[in-house]
This record gives sequence, C-alpha cells and structure tokens, in this order.
Amino acid sequence: MKLNTKNLISGGLLVLIAVVGLWLNQDHNLGTARRMGPGYMPMLTFWLLAGLGALVVVGALFNGPDPLDDWTKLEILAVPFALVAGFVVFFIARSVGFVGWYPLGFGLLGACLAISVAPGWRPIGLVHAGMAVFGLMLDQFGLMISIVCAVVVATLAEPTHRPKGVLGLVIFLCVLCWWVFIRELDIRVPVWPVFLTQ
Amino acid sequence: MELLIANLAHGFGVALSFENLLFALLGCVIGTAIGVLPGIGPVATISLLLPITFGMSATTAIIMLAGIFYGAQYGGSTTAILLNLPGEVSSVVTTLEGYKMARRGRAGAALATAAIGSFFAGTVSTIIVAASGPLLTQVALSFGPADYFSLMLLGLIISAVLAQGSVVKAIGMVVLGVALGLVGTDVQTGQQRFTFGIPELSDGIGFVPVAMGMFGIAEIILNLERPESRSILSAKVGSLFLTKEEWKRATPSVLRGTALGSLLGILPGGGASLAAFGSYMMERKISKYRHEFGTGAIEGVAGPEAANNAAAQTSFIPLLTLGIPANAVMALMVGALIIQGIQPGPRMVEAQPDLFWGLIASMWVGNLMLLVINLPMIGVWVKLLQVPYKYLYPSILIFCSIGVYSLNNNVFDIYMTLMFGVFGYLCNKLRLEAAPMLIGFVLGPMMEEHLRRAMLLSRGDPYVFIDWNTRPISTTLLAISAIALGSMLLPSIRKGKDKALAE
Repeated sequence: MKLNTKNLISGGLLVLIAVVGLWLNQDHNLGTARRMGPGYMPMLTFWLLAGLGALVVVGALFNGPDPLDDWTKLEILAVPFALVAGFVVFFIARSVGFVGWYPLGFGLLGACLAISVAPGWRPIGLVHAGMAVFGLMLDQFGLMISIVCAVVVATLAEPTHRPKGVLGLVIFLCVLCWWVFIRELDIRVPVWPVFLTQ
Repeated sequence: MELLIANLAHGFGVALSFENLLFALLGCVIGTAIGVLPGIGPVATISLLLPITFGMSATTAIIMLAGIFYGAQYGGSTTAILLNLPGEVSSVVTTLEGYKMARRGRAGAALATAAIGSFFAGTVSTIIVAASGPLLTQVALSFGPADYFSLMLLGLIISAVLAQGSVVKAIGMVVLGVALGLVGTDVQTGQQRFTFGIPELSDGIGFVPVAMGMFGIAEIILNLERPESRSILSAKVGSLFLTKEEWKRATPSVLRGTALGSLLGILPGGGASLAAFGSYMMERKISKYRHEFGTGAIEGVAGPEAANNAAAQTSFIPLLTLGIPANAVMALMVGALIIQGIQPGPRMVEAQPDLFWGLIASMWVGNLMLLVINLPMIGVWVKLLQVPYKYLYPSILIFCSIGVYSLNNNVFDIYMTLMFGVFGYLCNKLRLEAAPMLIGFVLGPMMEEHLRRAMLLSRGDPYVFIDWNTRPISTTLLAISAIALGSMLLPSIRKGKDKALAE
C-alpha cells in the first residue's frame, strides 16, 4: 500500500466540508425535483463532494508516495497553538467589549502571530497578520497609519529586510496609495486617525 | 459580411474614444509590467483591480482588464528572451530558444519576432472573435435551460480535465466552488443559506475576496517560501531587425502558431500556456530547421509567441458569446461583468454591442500599442526586474487590502480575503487546483438556476437532459463531457496530458 499523504488529506478535507455542508443543510426545505427548494442544490452538491472526496481518499491508499514536506516539531505544535490562541483572543476581545468585526480581526491576528512562532510558518503567518492589522486599524486610525503598521508587520516575514528599506517602502506606499486611492479614485476611507480630525 | 464591417466600424468608434484609449494603454502597460515581473500574474492583478472597475463603464473596465491579460503575454516574452526568466507560465517555452538566440547576439531579433508574431496573431484572432460572435449567438439563442446547464457542465468538466494533476481532485474543487457559490440568499425562495446570520454574507461570498485571496495572497506566500535566484546575466539587445532569412523561417511558424493558438484558446481550460507549449511541440516536430532546436531556432520563439497571444484573445469567445469562462482570467471577467450589472451570455452581443464590438476593436488597438511601446521600452522593463520581490509583496498586500475594502467599505471583506489566502495556500500545498474552484464558484449559481428551470419545465423529469429528440444540444454536450471524463481514465491519454503539462 503506497500512501499518498497529500491526497489523503485533500480527500479528507473535501469529505469534511461535505459533511458539514450536509449538516448545515438540514433545516433547508428540499422540495421535489420539479420544484426545488433551497436545500436541493446544496444536497446534490455536497453529496457529490462527499463522493469525490471518498474517491480521492480511496485512491490515496494506492497512489503514493506523495508525502508532505517534513515539518519540524515546532511547526507541528504551532498549528494547534495558533488555533487555540485565535479562539482565546476572539473571546477575550468580545468580552472586553469590542463589537462588530473587531473580535474576528483580533482572533485572526492572534492566530497568525501565534503560528509565526515557528520560522517555517512566518511567511504565511506574518503576511496575513499584516492584513489583519490593516483591517483592525483602518476604521479608527485611518489609511496612512494602517499602511505603516501593516507593512511593518508584513516585512517581518522576509528576513532580509533592513529598517531603512522598510522605511523607504512605507513612505513610497503611503504616497502612492494616497495618490491612487484618495486623489484619483476618491474612495471613502479615513486617511488620518479619526480621533485627530474630530 | 458588410454587417461585420459595420459592426467593426462601430467598435472602433467605441474603442478610439479618449477614455477607452487611455485605459487600453493603462491595461497594456500594467499587463506588460506584471508579465515582466515574476511572481505576479494576470489573475492576481486583475482580481486586484476589480474594485477599481466599479467607477468605470463596463466597456472601459473590460478593455482595461483585457489589456492586462494579453499585455502580460507580451511582457513575459521580454524577460524570457533577455534573462532566461519567464515572467509568465506561457513564456517558459520562449526561454528555451529565445534566450539561446540572445546568447548568440540575436536578442533583438528574438524580441522583434515575438512582438511582430504576437501582433499578427492578435490581428487574426481579433477577426476570429469578431466573426464568431454573431455566429455563436445564433446557435446559443436556441438554447433552453437544459442546454445551458449541459454547456456549463461541459465547461466545468473540461477545465477540470485539463487542470494539472489529478482529475478527480480537480472535479472535487469544481464542486467545492459550486458549494461556495451557494452561500447567500436563494434567489427563488428568498431563504438565507449557509449565512450564519451574517448580513454581509446575504449576497453570497464576495467574488473579489475569493479571487484575491486564493490567487493573489496565496501566491505571495508561496513566492516568499521560494528563495529568489535571479540570473544577473543579462544579454545585450543588439539590432532589432530581422534578416531576410529569419523572416522566411519565422513566417510559417507564426502562421501555424496563430492557428493552433486560436483553436486552443477557445477550449475551456486551454489558454495561453497550453497553446505555447503545443506550438513548441509542433514546431519541434515539423519545422524544417528542427535540428537547430536547443541552439536558438527562431521558430521556437515565433510559433509559441504567436500561439499564446492568439489563445489569450480567442479565450474571450466562450465568455462573450456563451457566458462560459474558458479559464481563471475569464472567470474574473465574468465577475467583473456581474459587478457591472451585466449578465454574460448569448444575449450579451445583442444587448451590449458597445461592449462586444468595442472590446474586439480595442484588442487590436491594444496589440498595436503593445507592439509600439514594448520594443523601445525594453530598457525600462529590464530595470523593473531589478526591484527585489521583498519590496513588491507588501505593496501587493496593501493594494489587495485597500481594494477589497473599497468594495463595501467593510473590513469584513479584508478578513474574508485573509481566510481565503490561507485556504489558497493550503490548497496549493495539497495539490488542489484553485482555478477550477473559481470557475465552479462563478458558474454554480447560474447552473442552479438553469437546473431548476429545466426541471420545472420538464415537470421533474431528469430525462430531459439526454432526450435526443427535444434537446439534441444538451445530449451532445453531455456526451462530450462524458467522453472527456472517460478519456482521462485511459492511462495512455492521462500520461500524455501529464507529460505535456509537466514540460
């Protein structure tokens, strides 16, 4: 039996999504073939997905070998650590009183930063952390500050970055974004912190 | 025939307006730039610029986005020839002979061949698109819902079959895309499906966050993981003029490449890369000078370059005439059209003549612009390549974030893009193809609508799809789908496909 790890996980993922989908679809009215209710197409789709996923899993038992790249111990531990951290931060943010999308943003930021503990995960962790930072800061701190913070976080993902280079990049992006998005396209977004302009 | 000319004249009237010219130029320049830069391609760029197209008219928006697409094919060749660095997948083939030509001091000739060959192919394929439009529309107007459904199914199946790697996984991704498209309000009953009570999801998962996340952000991460290795050996450009002999040798290759590319572009899942590879294989087999391949044969540049440009343009045909996206870029175009409130489909040629004929005329104008700006501006493009990726990726990240925010002024979209970025990375690591998912995501809601309508009309009878007497089109399309699927089961065909795509 030649195990194809990638396909095993792929198929498993598809089956998992299909099962979740079918479970979520329980409340939807299926209707009949002639008059399809809202649940009909999802049912068809998720059953098909489950079937395909199962096919991939079965095939994966003989397709191999196609192993995932080796993970270091730290990388393996970082994944559940990140998931836990994300949820914890999410609930803390909610209980502290943040409303709207802030808890989600904080949760995502927490998870991304937590996974960056492992150097192998830094590209994915820190680039996404930068995005989360941007989302968190945009409404209150305005575009310029958000750009600065997001870029600083994202550049941490690339170890060859130097402070001067990052500074230059930040200035360049602030100017460019101001010109393209504020002056030319006039999108509705606060440019400077909200509490400064009030 | 006169109708064609009249329509084309109308199209040129639209395409030559100041605004459309400006945005065509902008699209071509941006396209060339990203074609030159490795690590960012037309899919990521177009998804980045989708939010900007809101403020424009639909025609102008598509003109610009199209310019980016075929401009990228031009840009990729420049670096392929000069630096052995393919900016785009479709330019990989050009490095094989083009860089060798550059080493022999014929870089200028290679560049000129690529540009002129592409221009010729662009002209011919523009005419093909123009001619096929009204023709296919006639056919498509006799389509009933069952036929539409089968056509879309065929499109999905072929794009899965021609995807790299496992066909079963690709189909799985298509179905996953369809499933994601189901999120939102059910049009017929008004019931919310899979929205978890989140108001932002009542219109469904945003197309732009999915596209940007899976193609833009995921691409950034993957590029960061690969250490950069740039060859600093840059060949000198030399004279741009081709010798008479080179003209003679290049011409048949250009003709063959154009023909092959035009054909392969129409095929869903085909596209520019497949055309370029196909042309290279063909030239290697039938060219008179095939013994020179590997040392800088001009046919190896002329053919593939013509092919990839022809394919880039003819891949618009299924989109404009039938509303079916032939590849991921076309799926983005569908998204752009839907954002503009235009329903892509056979009626679009009639309903939006400005868009259809204007786009066609603009394609030719764009090709001309690319020919003119590319050759003199080569120095600029080479300089652009010197910018290290570490400065590019934060810029891409910021543009992505601002762009996606500007859709709804809601940071939720940023978070969605983030999550799809992670998902896209995961899919890549697991060898799950993202492009079939995007096509399924775009076509899924439409397919559901047609399925429902077909079943309603047939009173719940599924036989309607394969009933030869009443619905021959549907039957034929489904038969082709079955053949396409079945052929993948034969190991010989599968190996052939894998071999072709691997090279």
